[in-house]
Amino acid sequence: MAETDVDAGVGFTGVSRLRGKVFALLARAASWFGIVVLGLLLALVVVDAFGLAAASSGWYAGALVGFGAPTLIYAWYVTRTRPALRSVAARTAVLPLAGLVMAGGLAVLFVIFEPLLWFVYYTVSVLPAVLVFLLLRRQEDSRAPLVGGFVGAVGFAAASVLVGWVPIKPVTWLILLWVLVVPFASLVASRAGTDSRNRQSTIAGIIVVGGILAGAVLPRSVAVSPEVSIILYLSVLVPLGWYAGLVVSRERRRWPGLLSPLVLGAAGWLGLVLADTIGRQGPDVWLDWQFLTSAASTFPEQAGLFPAIVGSVFIIDIVAVVSFVVGVGAAIYLEEYAPTTGYTGLLTRVIRVNVANLAGVPSVVYGLLGLGLFVNLLGMGLGIVLVAGLTLSLLILPIVIISAQEAIRSVPNDVRQASYGMGATKWQTIRNVVLPRAIPGILTGTILALSRAIGETAPLLMIGAATTVFAAPETFTSQVSAMPLQVFYWSFSVKSTFREFVAPAGVVTLLGVMLSMNAIAIYLRNRYEQRT
Amino acid sequence: MTQHTEEPDLTNGRGLQSIREGFYKFVFFAFAALTVVTTIAIILTLLVDAVTFFAQYSPVAFLTGTDWSPALKPVSFGVLPLVFGTLVVTVTAAFIAIPVGTLTAVYLSEYAAEGTRQVLKPLLEILAGVPTVIYGFFALVYITPVIDVFFPSVTTFNVLSASLMVGIMTIPMVSSISEDAMAAVPDSLRQAGYGLGATKYDVTTGVVVPAATSGIVSSYILAISRAIGETMIVTVAMGMQAKLPVVGSTEVFGFGVPFVHPGTVFLESGQTMTAAMVQIAQSDLAGGTTAYNSLFAIGLTLFVITLLMNIVSNVISERYREEY
Repeated sequence: MAETDVDAGVGFTGVSRLRGKVFALLARAASWFGIVVLGLLLALVVVDAFGLAAASSGWYAGALVGFGAPTLIYAWYVTRTRPALRSVAARTAVLPLAGLVMAGGLAVLFVIFEPLLWFVYYTVSVLPAVLVFLLLRRQEDSRAPLVGGFVGAVGFAAASVLVGWVPIKPVTWLILLWVLVVPFASLVASRAGTDSRNRQSTIAGIIVVGGILAGAVLPRSVAVSPEVSIILYLSVLVPLGWYAGLVVSRERRRWPGLLSPLVLGAAGWLGLVLADTIGRQGPDVWLDWQFLTSAASTFPEQAGLFPAIVGSVFIIDIVAVVSFVVGVGAAIYLEEYAPTTGYTGLLTRVIRVNVANLAGVPSVVYGLLGLGLFVNLLGMGLGIVLVAGLTLSLLILPIVIISAQEAIRSVPNDVRQASYGMGATKWQTIRNVVLPRAIPGILTGTILALSRAIGETAPLLMIGAATTVFAAPETFTSQVSAMPLQVFYWSFSVKSTFREFVAPAGVVTLLGVMLSMNAIAIYLRNRYEQRT
Repeated sequence: MTQHTEEPDLTNGRGLQSIREGFYKFVFFAFAALTVVTTIAIILTLLVDAVTFFAQYSPVAFLTGTDWSPALKPVSFGVLPLVFGTLVVTVTAAFIAIPVGTLTAVYLSEYAAEGTRQVLKPLLEILAGVPTVIYGFFALVYITPVIDVFFPSVTTFNVLSASLMVGIMTIPMVSSISEDAMAAVPDSLRQAGYGLGATKYDVTTGVVVPAATSGIVSSYILAISRAIGETMIVTVAMGMQAKLPVVGSTEVFGFGVPFVHPGTVFLESGQTMTAAMVQIAQSDLAGGTTAYNSLFAIGLTLFVITLLMNIVSNVISERYREEY
C-alpha cells in the first residue's frame, strides 16, 4: 500500500485527478454503507425494545441533564486534567459490567441445576477430589491427577445415590456460600501473592464474611433475594474491590479513577429522579426484568423470554462441549499427525477439502441431516435439547476446525523441535507445548462459532423445535425452544404489539448475548496478539 | 501443515507410552474422520427420502412443473416457482453485495488508514454475524414500511425487502475474501505501476484488481451460494406464495413483446426453495407423506447447487491464482 502522492506529478489532467477522488470517495462510502444501515436498524429496534418513543421530551431533558452533567464533569476531569487516570477510570467502569454478565451466567447455572444438586455433588465429589489433588501435588506426587480423578469419580457415584435422600436441606444462600464463596475466597487468597500467610487468611476471611453479610443481612433491607445478592457480591463487588486494592497499593495517586462506577451510578440515579420530576411520561420499557424472567404469554405485557433463554443455554452447553472436543481433536490430527503422502495422505487431503465444503453447506440442510439422522434413524424425539445441540454442533464443527487449525499452525516449529530434542513424545509435545500456545486462538474461534450457533434458527425449525414453549427445559430430552425461535414466532404474531415491541425486546436480548460473546472473543484475540 | 522429520524416536521399549501415543493418534483421527462421516450422512439422508419422493412423483414433473402446492389438493410439486423465487432474491442481493463488497475490499486494502481498518473490520464481522432471523425481522418491520413510502402497492410480505436484506448480509462475504486476495498482491507490482506514472486510481483498477481477479470472483460465487442457502430472512419477510411471474404483453412498434411487470415480482410475496422447506417442516412433520419427502428432494437440489458453487469457487481461486 503505497503512500506516495503520485497525483502531485506534472502532466496529469484535472479530469484524471477528479476520477481518482470520486473513486476513493465511492469506495469509502461503500464500506460504510452496510454498517450504517445496520446501525440505523439497531437504533430503531432499541427504541422499540425500550419503548423510548413513548417518553415525553421533558423526560429526556431531565434525564440528559441529570445524567449528562455529572458524567461530563467527571469525564472532563479525568481526560483533561489527569490523563493518567484514564485507564483506571475506564477499567473500573467496565469491570462491574463484565461482572454483571458473569452474574447472569452463574444465575442461569443455578436455575438449570437445583442448588441442592450443587450442594451434594460439590461436597461429596468435587471438594474431596480437589483437596486430594492439591495435597498430592504439594508433595510433588506425579499420581495427583490420577488419584484426584479417582476420588472425584467415586464421590460422583456416591453423590448420585445420596441425592435421593439428603437428611438436611440447607437454605439456598447457605449452599451458595459453601459452594461458591468459600472456594472463591480460597482461590483469591492463594492468588494474593504474598508470602505472609496472615494476609491470605485475612483476605479469605473478609470475602467469606462479606458473603454472609450479602446473603443474610443486607437483602432484608434492599429487597433482593439473598441468592441474587450473593452472586452479585461475588461477581461485581469482589473483583472491583480486588482491583481497587491493586490500584491503591501500587499507584496510590490514581485513586480518583476508581470513582467512575460511583459517579456513573449516582449520575444515573440523578438522571432518573430529574426526568421523573420534569417529564410527565417516561419510556414504556418492554425489555425489563419481567420480560427476562417470564414465560411466553398471549398477553404482550406478560410475555417473556425465560424458557427460550434457558433453552438456548442448554443447547449451547452441548454445542460448546461437542464442537470444542471434536473440533480441536480433528484440528490436532490434521495439523500434527496427518501424513501427507501415500493413501493416508490422500485421505488427509479428502478430509481437508471436505471440511472446507462442509463450511459452505446451508444451515437448513444441516437441519434436514438432524431430522433424518437423529430423529428418524436414531429415534430421538422431535425438537428435544439433545437433537438441537448435536445438530448445531455438526453445523459449527467446520468453523471450529478451521480456526483451531490456524491457531495450531501459528505455533512456531522451533518450540516443537525443542520439545522433541528434550525427549518428549508427540503427545507430550502437543499437550505441553503446542496447545498452551494455541489455546487463546482456539478459544477465540470457538466462541465466535458459538455466537453463530446461538443465533441459528433454520436448523432448529427443521428438527421440529417448538417456536414457543411455556416451560423451561429441565433435562436434555425436554422439548426446547431457543431465543431466535421465539423472535421468529413473535414476528408473525397477529397482535401488532408483539411485532412492534415484544419481538424487538427479544431481538435486543439475543443481540446483547451475541455481541458480548463477540466482545469476549475479540478481547481474547487482542490480548493474545499483544503477547506474541 | 507441519512436518517433523527429525523427530527422535525415544519411545522404543516403553510399552505403555507407545500405547498411549497410539491411542491419542487414533482418537484424533476418529474426530477428523467424523467430518467425512457427516458429509456421507448428509448425502445419504437426503438421497434416501428424495428417492422415495421420486418414486411417488416423477422427477421430470418435479424439475419442470410450474405449480408448487404441497398442501392444497390436488397436490403439485413443480419446483420452478421456488427456483424462480430463489433466483430473484439471489440476483437482487448480488446487485447490492457485489459492487458494495468489491468497493469495500478496495477501500480496506488500498485506501483506508490503519486506524480506520481497525474499526471497519470488526464492524463488518458483526454485519456478517447478526442472526439471519433478526435480519428477517428488520426487513419485515422496518424496511417494508420504507418501501411502502415509495411504492404504495407493496404488500406486507414482499420479495424486495427480503432481497435487500440478503444483499446487505452478504456484503462482508464478498469484502473479506476479496480483500484477502487484494492484500496478497505484492507491493512491487503497485510500485511498478507508480513508477510508470500511474495514479492511485490507475494502479488500483489497472493492477491490483486484475491481479486479484481469481480471489474476487471466487468471493462472488461464495456470496451467491450463501444467498441461495439463506433461509430465515426469506422465511420471515418474503411470504409463502410460490409463484412464477405473470407474463403479459406490450406493444412495441406494433409487435407484441412479452413483458413482466417488475411490481408483480418484487412488491408481492414469493417463496424460495429454503422457505418452502421451512414451511413444510413446520406444517407436516408426520413423515412418510409425499409432501414430507419433497422436503428432502428440495434439500438435495439445494445441497447439490451450493456444493457445486463452492467447488467451482475453490477451483477458480486455486487454479487461476496468480503466483508471485
